Amino acid sequence: MRSLPRPLSVTAHARRRPGRLAISRREGAVSMVENSPAPLPERAIYGFALFLGSWFGFMLYLIWAYVPETWLFSLGLTYWPQKYWAVALPAYLLVAVGIGYVLLFGINMMSTAPLNSTHTITDNYAKKQQQKKFQEEAIPALRDIPISEVNRMFFLPEKGICNSR
Amino acid sequence: MEERRYRSASGAPLALRCRQHSASCRELAVRCPRLQLRSLSAVTSAVWLAAYGLFVLCQNSMVLSAAIFLTLIGLIIYLHFVKIDQESLLVIGSLGIQVTSSYASGKESTTFIEMSQVKDVVINEAIHMQKVIYYLCILLQDPQDPQGVSEVVPLFQSSQPRLDCLIEVYKSCHEILDQRKAASQSDGVK
Repeated sequence: MRSLPRPLSVTAHARRRPGRLAISRREGAVSMVENSPAPLPERAIYGFALFLGSWFGFMLYLIWAYVPETWLFSLGLTYWPQKYWAVALPAYLLVAVGIGYVLLFGINMMSTAPLNSTHTITDNYAKKQQQKKFQEEAIPALRDIPISEVNRMFFLPEKGICNSR
Repeated sequence: MEERRYRSASGAPLALRCRQHSASCRELAVRCPRLQLRSLSAVTSAVWLAAYGLFVLCQNSMVLSAAIFLTLIGLIIYLHFVKIDQESLLVIGSLGIQVTSSYASGKESTTFIEMSQVKDVVINEAIHMQKVIYYLCILLQDPQDPQGVSEVVPLFQSSQPRLDCLIEVYKSCHEILDQRKAASQSDGVK
């Protein structure tokens, strides 16, 4: 009967998922509930595992960067990367983020069609479109109007049809 | 022959001159504003001040003479290759369309397009450097494929007039281009 997902409880193991309830209730909507972004127990578990993993990684990074090498060697852990990278990697990341802004802007400008290309006028779909027959009292099919006709309608108003200016 | 004032896309004043030579020949010219004395003196003084600053730093007088030389050469190159004085469009009904750009140093560059290659003259809008601009362009057709557009030739690229000026030019061009369509239709009927 319930269609809303339940709140998370780690002790629940014999509980049916809301997705299956929805499927058994309504035959029509099968894929709707399974694709929703609502919180599910599996998602919460993945999130918690990621949280623990990222904390562990951060603590490891701090230990590697700050603890002197002699202490680490005395513990028996000798195979570490050079401490140079503890400063170099964050610096590289920050510069990469800054360059990413400029790069994205530049890629957008480069992929804009220049003023003398035919892509500003038409494209493959418009060239290959088929003319459908005009039927009385039916909505006309959607089609791409050539730019010459559009210009005539806008800028040469001698035929008396409504113009936008 | 009449001359009307319009503005370019960046706000500079333009003048459109329309001359009718005959019933099927018309010339439309857009004149851009001339090089302003204040912008020329601003650029020159900025370059010379920077050169003087460099001279004070490195005490080498070659910097000053290099700056003078650079300014003169840069001005000549700018006037000869970059600064366009007037762009004109000559439409001859049975022959073709001629596009002329005349630079501030007096140089003129001309392009002629035959009437059989011209499909239409339209006002198109496109994205250009974070803006959407209207520009007039000639659509060329392949003689073997009269339905498709083979090439797009944009006009008035340096002066970039606004839509009201473009509509005037469009209407003028179409008065002549529609004559050839009417002529070809009457030929076909015969």
